This record gives sequence, C-alpha cells and structure tokens, in this order.
Amino acid sequence: MTSKAIGILTLAAGLAALGGVNVFAEEGGAGDPPALDKAFETLQTYDWGADRSLLNPIDEAIIATHGDAAARQALEAKLLAVVTGETTRAAKDFACRKLRTVGTADSVPALAALLPDEELSHMARFVLERMPGEEAAAAMRKTLPQVGRRFLWVFGKRRVTQSTLDGDLEIGVIGSLGARRDAKSIASLTVLLADEDAGVACAAAGSLGLIGTPAAAKALGDFAPTAIESLKPAVADACLVCAENLLADGHASDARALYELLKTEDQPKHIQVAATKGLLAVAARK
Amino acid sequence: MAQQKDAIAGEGSTAASRRSFLKTAAAGAVALPYFVPAAALGKDGNTAPSERIVMAGIGIGNMGRNDQGAFLGRGDVQYVAVCDVKQGARENAMNKVNQKYGNTDCEAFNDFREIMARDDIDAIHCATPDHWHAIVVMEACRNGKDVYCQKPETRTLREGPLMVKTARRYGRVVSGGSQRVMGDYKRTVGPCWNGDKGIIKSINVNVGPLPKECNLEGQDVPAGFDWDLWLGPAPWAPYHPFRCSGSYSINGKSWRSFSDYSGGGMTDWGAHHFGGATFAIDVMDTDPEEVIFHNEDGKKFASVRYPDGKLIHHNHPGKGNLAVEGTDEKGPSKPVPVYAGTGGIYGDFIDCVKTRKKPFRDIERASHTMTVCHLFLVAYELERSLKWDPVKLEFPGDEEANRLVDRARRAPWVI
Repeated sequence: MTSKAIGILTLAAGLAALGGVNVFAEEGGAGDPPALDKAFETLQTYDWGADRSLLNPIDEAIIATHGDAAARQALEAKLLAVVTGETTRAAKDFACRKLRTVGTADSVPALAALLPDEELSHMARFVLERMPGEEAAAAMRKTLPQVGRRFLWVFGKRRVTQSTLDGDLEIGVIGSLGARRDAKSIASLTVLLADEDAGVACAAAGSLGLIGTPAAAKALGDFAPTAIESLKPAVADACLVCAENLLADGHASDARALYELLKTEDQPKHIQVAATKGLLAVAARK
Repeated sequence: MAQQKDAIAGEGSTAASRRSFLKTAAAGAVALPYFVPAAALGKDGNTAPSERIVMAGIGIGNMGRNDQGAFLGRGDVQYVAVCDVKQGARENAMNKVNQKYGNTDCEAFNDFREIMARDDIDAIHCATPDHWHAIVVMEACRNGKDVYCQKPETRTLREGPLMVKTARRYGRVVSGGSQRVMGDYKRTVGPCWNGDKGIIKSINVNVGPLPKECNLEGQDVPAGFDWDLWLGPAPWAPYHPFRCSGSYSINGKSWRSFSDYSGGGMTDWGAHHFGGATFAIDVMDTDPEEVIFHNEDGKKFASVRYPDGKLIHHNHPGKGNLAVEGTDEKGPSKPVPVYAGTGGIYGDFIDCVKTRKKPFRDIERASHTMTVCHLFLVAYELERSLKWDPVKLEFPGDEEANRLVDRARRAPWVI
C-alpha cells in the first residue's frame, strides 16, 4: 500500500471516528462519498491559487444533506477538523465559509478559540454571527468585560473583568453581538462605552442601539450626557437607532425618553430634527 | 446652498424660522415628509450661501468616472473632493476637477471618512465595489449628506432596509444608480402600464452568471494601493489584480465575479433588469414573499412571487428577457413616471436634493429591487424554495436560510 493510500485511510478512519460515519458508505450516503473524501483530502493543503473546482463536492454535499441531521453532523465534523487541524489559512477560510451554513453548537468551541486570532477572528465570526442558538452568542460575549453579579460587589462597585480581545478584534465581536441583537451583552457593552479606545466605545454604542431594548436605552441614555466630544455623534446615532427599535417593539415611552434627550440645543441640528421626527412617530402610534 | 435650500423650503434663513417650522409641525401633529426641508437640516446656519450643490465622489473607477463626469458637467454642482484607495485613480479624478474649474481646489483622499467629516459637502456619489455601498451610504446619511449610490445598491438582504432607515432617520435624499431602469425598458414598461398587456401575470429576466468564491493566488500589492481599505468589510484575501479589477466583465477577472464583493451578474446586471422588470409589472415598491426554486430536467431556474400573485422568473427556459405574460383583455392604464429635473438619473437626483422629494430610484425602491436579486441568490445557493418575511427580514422557520440574510463584516466595519 502506498504512503498516500495509507494517508487517505488514516484520514478516513479519523474522520469516521469523529463523525461515526463510514466514509466509504456506498448506499444511503449523501452525494458521492469518494468524491467528497477526495475533496476533503484536497482541502488539507488547499491554498489561494489552487483549483477551487476540486472542492465542489463539498458544496454539493451541503445541498444534498439538507434535512439529514446525521449526514450534516458528519460534514460539520469534517469541516471542523480542517479548522482545528494543521491546515492552511485558505483551507480554514473555506471551512468557515461552509460552516456558516452547516455549523452548529458543536463548532462553537473551535470557533471561539479563533476569536483572538488576528488572521482568523473574522472568519470565526463569519460563522458565529449568523449561527442560531445561545452558544454562538455566549462564546463571543465571553470575550467582553464580564460584569459581576450584585452580591459580588466589592466596596460598592461591581467586579468587572477585562476584555480578552482588543482593538479591531474586539470591535468585530461587538458588532456581531449587535447584529444578533444580543440583549445579554448589554452589561458588557455598557462597560465598553467608557473604553479608552474610541473605536470600541463607538462600536459598543452602535450595538446597544441595534439591541434596542429598554435596558439598552437606559445604558445609552445614562451615558449620553457624559460622552466626550469625539463620541457624541456615534452615541446620538445609537440613541436614534435604539429609539426606532424600541418604538417598533412597542416601547413608546422609552423611545420618547431617548428622543427627548436628543432634542436639546447642544445637539447638532440634524440630530434635533431626527429626534423631532421620532417624537412625531411616537405621537402617531398613540 | 443654505440660502437656496431655504428659498425652496419657503422659509426664511433664520434659526427662528426653522424653529417655527419645527414647532408648527410638532404642534399640528402633521406627519413630517420623508425628507425634511433643507432649511431645517443641520449646518448650524453657518454655511455661506451658494447656488450650487457641493459634491464629492467616493470610488472613482470605471462607473465612478462616468458619474463624476455627469455631476462635474452640471452648472448646479460644485465638485470639491474625490476619494479612491488607488492613488492613480484619485489623482486623475482630482486633476479632472481642477482642469474643469481652472484651479487646484479639489482635494483627494484615500479614506472616505475624511469626505464624511467635511461639513461643506452636501452630497456624494458612491461607486465603490458593492461590498462597501451600505457602509458608505449610511455613513454619509449620518454626516448630513445626500447620496447617489451606484447599483447594485446592496450586497445582502439585511443591508437595504438598514440603508432606508438611516436615510429616513436623517431626512436624506438617497438615489440608487440604475440609469437603465427608466432608460432601457420603455418598450416593456409602456405596454404594461397602458394596459396593452392586460392583467400582468409574470415577467422573465435572463441574467447571470452567479458569483463565485475567489481563490486567486496572492501577488505583491502595487504601490499606492490601500489593499486593506479596498477589502474593507470583506474577508481578508491576498491581492490579485483580477480580484479587484473594476472591469465590467463577470468572467473571473473582476471583483464583479466574486461573492465577497458582488452578487455576480445576478446583482450587477440584475439591478438593471430586475429594476426594469419590477417597474414594468408595477411591483417596484413592494417585496416578494416567496422564492421558488425549479429544477426541471436538470434546468435550474427560479421565480419570486408577490403577495398579489405576480411572478418574476429568473432564466425561465423558453422565455426571453423581459418577456411579459398577461391576459388578453385590456388592462388598467396609468401614466408612466418620469425623472424630475433634467439630465437623466443624475438630474433626477440633483433636482431631488433641491426639492427634498424622493428620486425615481429612491433607496427604498432600490432595496426592493435588490431583494429580488438576493432572494434568488439564496435560493440558488441552497437549491430549494423559501418563504420570505420582508418585515422581519427572515425566512420564516428556516434557520439555514436565515444564516444567509447577512454576513459578518471584517472589523472595524459594522452596519
């Protein structure tokens, strides 16, 4: 047996052990198993410039396994092996693109481990941001400051841990949580409103706006009067976005409070006008 | 410009007049128009009066040059700045402006945020690659600028409604950029709108190809090209000239071919053709509620269905492009809309900047057109039919399809 054949069998056995699936199944398997296995073999050393069409069986398998939980689980496991294995950046990039469609909570730990990775953090979020389920949100949330429970207050202050990310990586996670409208992030995002990195603070404000719950509104409303000059535009916009979401969700009085906050002479005219329009919209709902 | 806007709004140019307007509107509980008269908008009353609309361009590649030429050639526009991540492109664009005005006043920027920060700019035109459109349009609105944005106006299903909300929030005029919808499809639109086609049932659009993933090998980034900023919210990838070429071809040698930046022909030409189709069968201002995937004898095609039952087909076998199916009896007739102002779609935009009316390809109408394109893209990616809820922006009960409604953007870019 050639070393290549040994390699293929070893890989197949490993993947089968992960997925509990006979990769050489001739009947009942999704798509063309030998072609699929070959595609995954190709993926191990895939790089930019290689023949993308060799990976088409993986795309076809995703389509073919819709509704087949066991086959999807096997497929996910194979993709996950690429993400966690000694593969190229391009291979991991590809695997994340496919996990965007088929990834489940099973993939979250491996993807969470990539969030601090300068090269792959975004592709991890490429999966996590749109993945349904609390696990994906929790994994991203865990990288932000953790605010202690009330009974853990020390000297009148809540215990707050540091973010495990910084700069653009942190901003990315903040943005993804906002896109998910993850209400459980509010406490952490509130802490980040005061971050010394203006980009982080602005992103936190923006995400609070998107989350758009009464608790998010309170965080923004409490912070807005204290915002430094460079943050004021982002905070004002976030308040407006938040108010719109509040109104859409039936929280008219909370929306009104935010609009009233912005309809002051210290705000730029276009913000005042937007706030006035918002107040008219609130009035129209009654 | 402030003086011009005040005159159009029928208000004096004083802050008292603005307050009076606002007080009246609020007390009377009169719904404000979508576009708040420019007299009431920000500039804090400090802008010097001008008869011209002060404009800048962001993304001055192939279409950007066309757009720049159109706006620069207008006597009611004062062009003051350009932005492009390619040094050569922005310098050429700057030189063109300076040559027109016989001075060296035009500024050139690499980063569009510097254009946004300029309070003197009233409006921008955007012809960046598609993956940037939502960010640029929304940021322009936040910074008090009206926008003419090239088609395809959006890259995902989530972007369009967010762009509409932002435009409305700040009372901005935002026009999409398909000059063909009004210009190229008169022979289809006319018979549909004058009743000759009876009660319309369907229309077909033949367009393609679909986008594909790009895996071109990396090369050295040319000097003067801000590759990281060109990529922006798209996933990092190595530079290759075909990855970022602005060529109109969709053959793997331009960004229009690749899914990270574009929806391929489905959006690049679909923005025009589906714009024409939705115009012809009069569904421009609404969204489909279902996309139906067909696979007949190996031929894959799809259709979207509107609440009133009308269908738009994509690549229906045996049907020509913009082929309309209607009933035999004479249908209802109504006048076909026309552009405002003079000078085609560009003049329509500029006229609406002055009057604060909605342009023909208002961003909301553009968003509806692009929704058709993106629904087709999702259906083809999953190869199945899907229901669509345009209010909740979701495929009801379909968590797999819902993953494709939007995509995570590379930091620091968020919408």
